[in-house]
Amino acid sequence: MIYLELFFSFVRIGFTSFGGMSMVPLILEEMSTHGWMSAEDLTNLIAIAEMTPGPLGVNCATFAGTQTAGLLGGLAAVVGVLAPAYTLTLGAAVFFHRFRDSQVMTNIMSFVKPICISMILNVILTLSLENYLTESQMPDVLAIVIGLISCYLVLGRKWSVPKVIGSAAALGIVCFGFF
Amino acid sequence: MNQKNLKTGGMLLLFFVKIGCFTFGGGWGILAQIEQEFIHKRNWITQEDLLELTAVGKSLPGIMIANISVLFGYQMAGWFGSLCCLVGITLPAVVILSLITLVYDAVKSNYWCWCALKGVSCAVVPIIGSAALSLGREALKTPRSVVLCLLALVLLLVGVGNLPLVVAGAAAALLWMGVKDLDLS
Repeated sequence: MIYLELFFSFVRIGFTSFGGMSMVPLILEEMSTHGWMSAEDLTNLIAIAEMTPGPLGVNCATFAGTQTAGLLGGLAAVVGVLAPAYTLTLGAAVFFHRFRDSQVMTNIMSFVKPICISMILNVILTLSLENYLTESQMPDVLAIVIGLISCYLVLGRKWSVPKVIGSAAALGIVCFGFF
Repeated sequence: MNQKNLKTGGMLLLFFVKIGCFTFGGGWGILAQIEQEFIHKRNWITQEDLLELTAVGKSLPGIMIANISVLFGYQMAGWFGSLCCLVGITLPAVVILSLITLVYDAVKSNYWCWCALKGVSCAVVPIIGSAALSLGREALKTPRSVVLCLLALVLLLVGVGNLPLVVAGAAAALLWMGVKDLDLS
């Protein structure tokens, strides 16, 4: 059943990441191994999740789930991705005073986080090949120019993400619409 | 469940729905709102307590802000408070994204919208890149973590999956702790 499959996919995603962008590689992998979404839709997913308020992980799960299997699919994905919160974290909340001093989770996270960084780097590579090359595997000059401008805005000018996305949309309309 | 928890829970639900609706920029923005409302305005929790909650929430897997919401809600009003905070922080995102997904296909098949989306997709890599930079600044402080990161990247490039890699990382952490304990004794 698709809802159960979505639920368990997102339980896996939830338990093996630490929120935000670190979820993106796992979502990409689950979506493409199940053939649920195209790479183009996945790129749009990130943009849409960044443009809307709320936690990125919840946004991604809702979009991916709804796109795959309608509103119920979205719900299944969100309930799945929140699984660590209402199991592990609730447990930690009950035993907070004992848990606070426990070194085990802190230690595990100090190993898992660097691995998550490399997962994100890997996604950057995959998406770059997808977004900056034309279908005939040639560099897409217009796309690269928009990418460089966005890079300058987000790193150089420290613009907020929704603003950068808005400008990129405007640039897209001008560059791809008229040329 | 007593009357007071019920009332506090309802209030928490409304507050978290509100910040869920209006806070862009993910977890840290939401945390700043919690700080403003419950430390500075209402004095329900001290700065130190919130920092402690954040540290624990960050050290657990899953969505950081969902974890912090659960911990915070539990301290304020027991398990019912946790539930209210978790539902509150999630609900707006679910509703907004569901609506967007419903119109997504129609939007994508419009030529001008397609051009705009194509422009946006060019900005996604720099955005992920800047997130990776700020995460990296926090997660790659020791030589050990840098080595781990590079090793994991090589494994990913030769085709190892994300999930086995994270599980192996967690196992390595436990092993590492075991080895250190042996050294001490």
